[in-house]
Amino acid sequence: MAALDRRTLFKVLGVGTGCVAFSEGDRAEAATLEAPLGAPSPAVESWDKAPCRFCGTGCGVEVGTRDGKVVAVRGDEKSPVNKGLLCVKGYHLPAILYGADRLQYPQLRRSDGTLERISWDAALDLIASKYREALDQRGPDSVAVYGSGQWTVFDGYAALKWVKGGLRSNHLDPNARLCMASAVTGFMAQFQSDEPMGCYEDLELADDVVLWGANMAEMHPVLFSRILESKRRRGTVRLIDIGTRRTPSSDYADLYVEFRPGSDLAIANGILHLLVKQGKVAQSFIDKNCVFRRGEEDFAKIGYGCSGEQAERYTFNDTPKDSSFEEFKQFLEDYAPQRVSEISGISVQQLELLASIYGDNKRKTLSLWCMGVNQHVRGTWMNNLITDLHLVTGKICRPGDNPFSLTGQPSACGTVREVGTLANRLPADMVVTNPEHRAKAEKLWKLPAGTIPDKPGHHAVDMFRAFQRGDVTCLWVQTTNPWVSLPNLHRFERRPGDGRFLIASDVYPTPTTDQADLILPSAMWVEREGVFGNSERRTQQWNKLVEPPGEAREDAWQIVEVARRMGLGHLFPWEGDWHEAMFEEYRSFTLGIGKDIASYKQLQATRGLLWPVVDGKETRYRYAGGHDPYVAAGRDVHFYKAKGYGERAAIWLRPYHPPAEEPDAEFPLWLCTGRVLEHWHTGSMTRRVRQLHQAVPRAYVELNRADALDLGVKSGDLVRLRSRRGKLTLEARVDGRGKPPRGSVFVPFFDESKLINELTLDALDNISKEPDYKKCAVRIELVEQGS
Amino acid sequence: MRGLASLALCMFAACGEASTEAGKLAVPGRAGALKSSASVRATRRLFDGAPPVIPHPPLGAACVQCHNARGMDVPDLGFAPPSPHAETPGMSALSRCNQCHVHAIDGGEFVANTFVGLAQDLRRGERLYDGAPPVMPHGTAMRENCGACHDGPAAREELRCSHPERARCEQCHVAQQQDGSFSRL
Repeated sequence: MAALDRRTLFKVLGVGTGCVAFSEGDRAEAATLEAPLGAPSPAVESWDKAPCRFCGTGCGVEVGTRDGKVVAVRGDEKSPVNKGLLCVKGYHLPAILYGADRLQYPQLRRSDGTLERISWDAALDLIASKYREALDQRGPDSVAVYGSGQWTVFDGYAALKWVKGGLRSNHLDPNARLCMASAVTGFMAQFQSDEPMGCYEDLELADDVVLWGANMAEMHPVLFSRILESKRRRGTVRLIDIGTRRTPSSDYADLYVEFRPGSDLAIANGILHLLVKQGKVAQSFIDKNCVFRRGEEDFAKIGYGCSGEQAERYTFNDTPKDSSFEEFKQFLEDYAPQRVSEISGISVQQLELLASIYGDNKRKTLSLWCMGVNQHVRGTWMNNLITDLHLVTGKICRPGDNPFSLTGQPSACGTVREVGTLANRLPADMVVTNPEHRAKAEKLWKLPAGTIPDKPGHHAVDMFRAFQRGDVTCLWVQTTNPWVSLPNLHRFERRPGDGRFLIASDVYPTPTTDQADLILPSAMWVEREGVFGNSERRTQQWNKLVEPPGEAREDAWQIVEVARRMGLGHLFPWEGDWHEAMFEEYRSFTLGIGKDIASYKQLQATRGLLWPVVDGKETRYRYAGGHDPYVAAGRDVHFYKAKGYGERAAIWLRPYHPPAEEPDAEFPLWLCTGRVLEHWHTGSMTRRVRQLHQAVPRAYVELNRADALDLGVKSGDLVRLRSRRGKLTLEARVDGRGKPPRGSVFVPFFDESKLINELTLDALDNISKEPDYKKCAVRIELVEQGS
Repeated sequence: MRGLASLALCMFAACGEASTEAGKLAVPGRAGALKSSASVRATRRLFDGAPPVIPHPPLGAACVQCHNARGMDVPDLGFAPPSPHAETPGMSALSRCNQCHVHAIDGGEFVANTFVGLAQDLRRGERLYDGAPPVMPHGTAMRENCGACHDGPAAREELRCSHPERARCEQCHVAQQQDGSFSRL
C-alpha cells in the first residue's frame, strides 16, 4: 500500500467533492440525538434469530424489534456460518423493509395503463379464473409460474404442488435457473444427487483455496473473511484466484491466473492432463470409487440454445455412455500444456503450478465457484471438470478437500434444488421424466396416478420466449425481477394488448411490476414465517416477527388461496396455520434417502442443521465414512446415491468448446456482467437503503487503462456500449475496484435504469439451460467527456 | 446556502470528530472542538450497531494505517478514530474493511425510506454500590478494543476512562450475559 502522504490527503479532501453531504434535515434529526449519557434509552424488546435475506451464504442474524418494527440487526454469534460477522448488506437489512414505496395492496392495471387498487378477494378470484380459462381453452401448456431462489421453502413447495399436482403442468421454473442450474446438472451427472459433499468448515481446513471465476470478496464476503482469517492464523494457506478480471478478491490472492473467457474448460483439462502424465492420480481411489462417462461432444449437435429448434424446451438431450480410464488418458492427449496455453492465454508455468496444487496430496485443496462457472455456455461441463480434479486425485469427501459450489440466493438450495421447483424436477432429487419418481410424488400427495405430466416444462429463458410467442398466456412471477435479470432483454418486450395475463408478486415496484397486469404485495423476510436452505445444505427456520405493511401477504398464502378458489383445495387440506404441517409433508419426501431434512421443531430450536439429518444429527461431510450415516460400514468414501453407476462417482470427459460469441473487428471487446458488494441482484431491495445506494448509486462500465487510452476515454466520461442486441450509455471507470484485462469490460447489472441485459446474449448451456451472462462482444464509443 | 452548509458539513464530516474554525480543523478534546460526537455518530449509521459509512473519499492507503488501535492525529486534518476492532480475533490488516464499511460519496437517494433505527444506548453500566466498578452495559463482540470509545481524543467526553493506563479492562469491568441468573438446580 502506498504511504499516506499529507499532500495526497489534501488533494483529495480539498476539492470538496466526493464527501458525504448531510442535509439540513439530517442535522435537525441529529440534534435530537444529543442526549446525555445516562438518559433512558429505547431498548430493543426482543432479539430473534433469522437467516439473512440476501445471498446463499445464509448468515445468521439476530433481529431486534420494538413497537412492532425492526429497529436493528446484529450478527448471530451462535450461527456457525458467520459467527457474529455480517457484510454491509447484512448490517443494513432492517431498512429493506421500510422503503417508502412498499407495495401494500393488490393493484389491477386498467386498459389506459393506470393501476387500480382492488381487494384480495377480487385479485385471487381473477387469478383463479384466468388460470382456469387458460387451462380450459388452451390446456396446461398455456399456464406457467416463474419462481425464485428467494422463495421460502413454503412458497416453493406450495407452487410445486399447485402447478405439477394441481394444474397438471410442468411449466414451473425459477430465477435460480439463471444462476445455479449448471451446478445442479453438474452434481447430478457425477453423483446422481445434487449439492456439495463438504461444508463451510472446509474454508478453515483447506491448505489451498482455489477460486474458479468467483469474486468472493464482494459476493460471499463473510465466507471470504473466513478464508482470510485462516490465512492469517495458519500462515501456510494459499489463495489462488483463477479469473478473467482482477477483483477485490485477487488483491488477497497468492496467485492470480488470468485466462481468456471460456477457456477454463481447456485449463481444467490441461491440469488433468498433467496429473495423469505426472502419475499424480489416486489410482486405488478411482478403481474403488469411480466410473468414467462421456456425453455428446459434437459442437454442431449441442449449439448454444439461442434460437431455432435446439433452443426450445428440452430438445437437446445429452447421450451419455460409459468410458474408461484408458479413453480418458487418450482424450486428455489433446490438452498438452502448450495447446492449453494457446487457447487460454495462461503460461505453461502457471498451468504446471495449478497441477502441482491439485496434485499435492499432502495439502488439502478446496475448489470454490459460482457464477463464472455456472453462467457459462458449457457450465455443466465446467462443473464436471472441477469435480473431476478432485475425483482423480481422491481429494474429495475429506474435511478441507472438496469441490464446493457457492450459491447466490438465500434458498437456491433449499427451495429450488431441494424442493425441486424446476421444470424437470420433483422434491429430493426426483425428476418428472422418471415414472417411479412421479408415482412417489402422486402417492405422497394422495393424487391419482398419472396426474403429473412426464414432459419437462419450459425452463426460465424459454418460459419468457413462450410468453412472448403467445404459447404461454397466463404467467405468475413471484419474488423476482426478470425484466431486469433476463439476458437479451429486448427479446422479451411486451406489446400492449398482447392478450396475455401477467401477475407479479413483489415487495417494491420494479420493471417487472411495470409489465404486470396484476400486482400483488408480498410479505417479506421476518414479516412472515419461513425456511431457507443455504449453500452448505443448512436448513434454517425463522418466525414471523413483525406485521407486513398494508395488506401484504406471503407468497405461499397467495398460491394456496388461488388453489382453493380453483377447486384444488385438497392439495392444501390444513386448517388454520399450515406452516408446520406443510413443512412436514415436504419433509416426508426427503426421509430415508440421504436427503433427510430436520424436523420443523428441531429447526425452530437450532441455528439450522446440515442434511442429511438422521436421529437428530446433522452431516457435515456427505459420502464420508465416520460422518455420513448412509455410508456403508468400513468404507471411507461411499457414493451411495449414484445407483446408476454402481454407487460410484462419475469422472466425465468434457472437451473445450469456444464461447457463443467472441470479439471481432466490429465488436472488439468482451463484456462481462455481475454484481457489486453493496447491491444484491437487481437492486430492488438494496437501492432503497440510502447507505448502500450512495455507495454505488448507478451502474458504470469498468475499462482497462490501455483500452481507455486507445479510445481516448477517462474515468467519469460517458461512453456508449453497443452489442448486436442493444446499446447503453454508461459512466466509464478506469481501474476501479475491478480491473478488467485488456480487451474486456465489466458492467454490474443491478441498475434498472441502465439495463445491461439489453446487450447480453441469451446463449445457454444446453444441458442446464442456464444462460451465459459473462461472455459476449461489444464496442465502446465516447459520448461526452466528464468534468 | 444549502451548498455551503453541505460543504462545511462535508469538511466537518471528513475529519472525524473535528469542527471547523476559520478553516482550521480542530481535534476533539482540544479547545474549540465538539463536546460530543453523538450527532455525527448517528448520521453515519443506519442504527446503533450498524457499521458506519466512510465519510471521506478513498485515500489510497490501508485503512489501518490511520485507524489503528490508538487512532492517529493527522496534522491539519483531524483525528482518525481508532478501530474498535483492533483487538478483535480475526480482524487484521488482512481483513477487508470494505466488506462492512462503504464509502458514502454521493448525495440523493433512489427511493425514500421510513426506517427508524435503534438509537445509541446511553444507559450507564450498573454499579453494585457507589465506587464499585461498573459492569459493561453493552456487548463486546467486534469492539474488543475498549480504548476506541473510552480513551483518546475521539472518545465522547462522558465515556472517557479515568485510568486508561490499566490495560486489562475486563479485570474489573465484566460483560453481562442475558441469561445469567443463578440457581442450584
